[in-house]
Amino acid sequence: MSTWQDLVTASLIGTERTGLPDTGVPGQPGPADARRPTQAPDDPAALLLDRAALLTVARRGGRPAGHAEPPPEAEPDPAPAVSPAAGRRLARMLGGEHPDLLAEWLTAVVARDRRAPAHLLPALLDRARRVSPSDPELRRLAAEAGGSRARWLAGLNPDRTFVTAHAGAGQDAWRLGGKSQRRGYLAALRARDPGAARDLIIQSWEAAAGPERVMFLSVMANAGLSLADEPLLEAALDERDAEVRGWAAHLLARLPGSALGQRMAQCALDCIRIESGARDSRLVVIPPARGDAAMRRDGVTSGQGGRLQERDARTHLLHEVLARTPLRTWTGRFGRTAEQILALRSGAWAPVLFTGWSRAAMAQRDQEWMTALINWALAGGPTGTLFGAETLRQLARRVDPARCARETTASPGAEIPPPIRDAISVLRFRYDMLKELEL
Amino acid sequence: MSVPQARVSSVAERWDRERVLALAPDAPSQRTAQSLASGRAWPATGAGIGALWGECQGSGAAPYRAVVDLSGPAYRCSCPSRKFPCKHVLALLLLWAEGTVPNDAADPPGWVATWLATRAAKASPTPSGEPAEPKDPKAAVRRAQQRESRVASGLAELDQWLCDQARQGLAVSQQAGYGHWGDIAARMIDAQAPGLAERLRALASVPHSGAGWAGRLLEEYALLHLLAVAYRRRDELPPPLRETVRSRIGFSLRQADVLARGQPVRDHWQVLARRDLEQDRIRARRTWLRGRKTGRDALLLSFAAALAADPWLDTWPAVLRVTPARAPAPAVRDADGDALPLHPGAGDCWTLFALSGGRPVTLAGEWTPRGLWPLTAWDEDARAVAL
Repeated sequence: MSTWQDLVTASLIGTERTGLPDTGVPGQPGPADARRPTQAPDDPAALLLDRAALLTVARRGGRPAGHAEPPPEAEPDPAPAVSPAAGRRLARMLGGEHPDLLAEWLTAVVARDRRAPAHLLPALLDRARRVSPSDPELRRLAAEAGGSRARWLAGLNPDRTFVTAHAGAGQDAWRLGGKSQRRGYLAALRARDPGAARDLIIQSWEAAAGPERVMFLSVMANAGLSLADEPLLEAALDERDAEVRGWAAHLLARLPGSALGQRMAQCALDCIRIESGARDSRLVVIPPARGDAAMRRDGVTSGQGGRLQERDARTHLLHEVLARTPLRTWTGRFGRTAEQILALRSGAWAPVLFTGWSRAAMAQRDQEWMTALINWALAGGPTGTLFGAETLRQLARRVDPARCARETTASPGAEIPPPIRDAISVLRFRYDMLKELEL
Repeated sequence: MSVPQARVSSVAERWDRERVLALAPDAPSQRTAQSLASGRAWPATGAGIGALWGECQGSGAAPYRAVVDLSGPAYRCSCPSRKFPCKHVLALLLLWAEGTVPNDAADPPGWVATWLATRAAKASPTPSGEPAEPKDPKAAVRRAQQRESRVASGLAELDQWLCDQARQGLAVSQQAGYGHWGDIAARMIDAQAPGLAERLRALASVPHSGAGWAGRLLEEYALLHLLAVAYRRRDELPPPLRETVRSRIGFSLRQADVLARGQPVRDHWQVLARRDLEQDRIRARRTWLRGRKTGRDALLLSFAAALAADPWLDTWPAVLRVTPARAPAPAVRDADGDALPLHPGAGDCWTLFALSGGRPVTLAGEWTPRGLWPLTAWDEDARAVAL
């Protein structure tokens, strides 16, 4: 359409400096202004605009279709998409509502062998890419929940190569791949066959540097943790790298049957006992005197580099020991259920017991204790401290929402404290979220 | 105060979240309403008699009182927000949608009953929508003539300005500031031609819109010039075209005239797509409807036919069965391989691509001279997805 280009060029320069090009309209004989009415202006500028208007409309109306190469088709995905309600909830989370529950949603979708709705995949993959440095697991989950459509999208957009790194990575990814490919391979293997992944880690341990050993342990943490992992973890407690030691102690504390758990239980049993009074019983708490080298090896530190007052240091120590003690220690020793133990009076120690036991319950994935603890908190239990509020926040995200109360039973009428209100909102959201995935 | 009988029987079906959120005037309102519904204290809420009410504790001492008449829906809130509905009303509706508002039909608070009764009282006499016919016909004719002459002189001035641009050359407009178009747009407001003012203000961004800007600016100037010429010669034009010219300039149609002169089209209408536009602090929502019986196809041909009736037309609705493609440029192609470009302003359209998976999808959008602006697509289960 060179006549149009001529007009554009003339208009750029201006009619006072250049002549008016002759223009014809396709399909019309003669110059465009041949049939102009008699009052046509002599002004070349007006003439230029006249011709431009005619050509503009002619070009818009007479536009031919272009050509484009179609992309390859995505493989059909045998797994069905989630229900529309579940899709809407994913959209809400991607839109900023409870974004921290996204990993749980994805885990539940993958466990049920369903797929995220196709139209939400770009937003989901973008989210996974952005938060990834702090949470590589989210990338793997997003890639898996996205299925073949996510891999197809990744092929169109170089920003999303991580999807193919996680999906179907073979032996080559482990031998030759970069950091994220190795992690993707190991995580997939661990999810499929925890023992094979452990053997691979044991073989690779000597040659691996500190950061890679941390990666190994974090992959073990995400799936398939069992007592079979204990020898490897117990050995790692004597590593030089403090981060590796910390991870190993953290994982051992999640295994109620581990030797570390027994060591903690021995210490903890000296600290708490039941004193039966005339009318009711109460818990008597005596925190441990001081930490020793064996406790430090198990990840129990005295807190803030030993700069705490003696009383605070002992409280901190008790808290750390409680968090690592198998919870069945208490139900076994006291002959009571979690709920009954929490109903005992514990006076000023209640907040320490709440946070310590909550950490233990979350680490050991103990739903009975988590349920009892959150019900205690929702009934106005000891969450008044900053630490208690944070613990409640975490509990609300890990407890099975179908098992626990989703209302507060604390003093009706009074204003509900924000941490409790938030916990209730999270519990309801998760309850609905998991129910929708059953549809 | 009693509540009219008619309302008591109307048991409102509970809405879902999407329906509530669709009422929000903008995205920030949606977000604040959601956090308000999940966090902030609502000391008292209730629902019943076709209405919904609640008190929300704000920063002040007295709580805000929000009430919704679900039959309208109509809303009122005691907060000073100028958004409508405000976040409190939206949050209240969200709480209701979640099922956390107790039914309390027996005893609505006094302020709720008062408002409902006032609404009912206003609604019961014959509806008074449009302003009545002008009281003084002579004065009305004089005002209309005055406006015609103002518009005429404004358009003459605009045409002079456009010719000046073509004479000096468009190259200088790349250095020009917003005022270059703002001044002439303000003149069009004075001349009572708001349609032109809007078009002119939108031009300020064209010189910075990338390659081909000069062509796009020339197109717009030429079409404005065409409008000025057409108005000058309005008496020679056939009446439908004259109406088109007048409406492009900004003469608004009165609802009564539309009803009297237009031809009603009866059909089952389906909402195809919505597009929210923000121009010059004015928010507009364009909703495309499609009748079941009056489907259209063959987009390029139908657009050409429409251009013949209205050369200034720059958006045209389309429903297509196409496969999105990325090479050599983002486009959609039909089964024969013919392709239409996607509008560069519509972004990378990843949602559309994800939905298609490389296979044909049904797509509703706006065809414009710069390309297709995708608005709605239908997934494999025929569910609409807004893009």
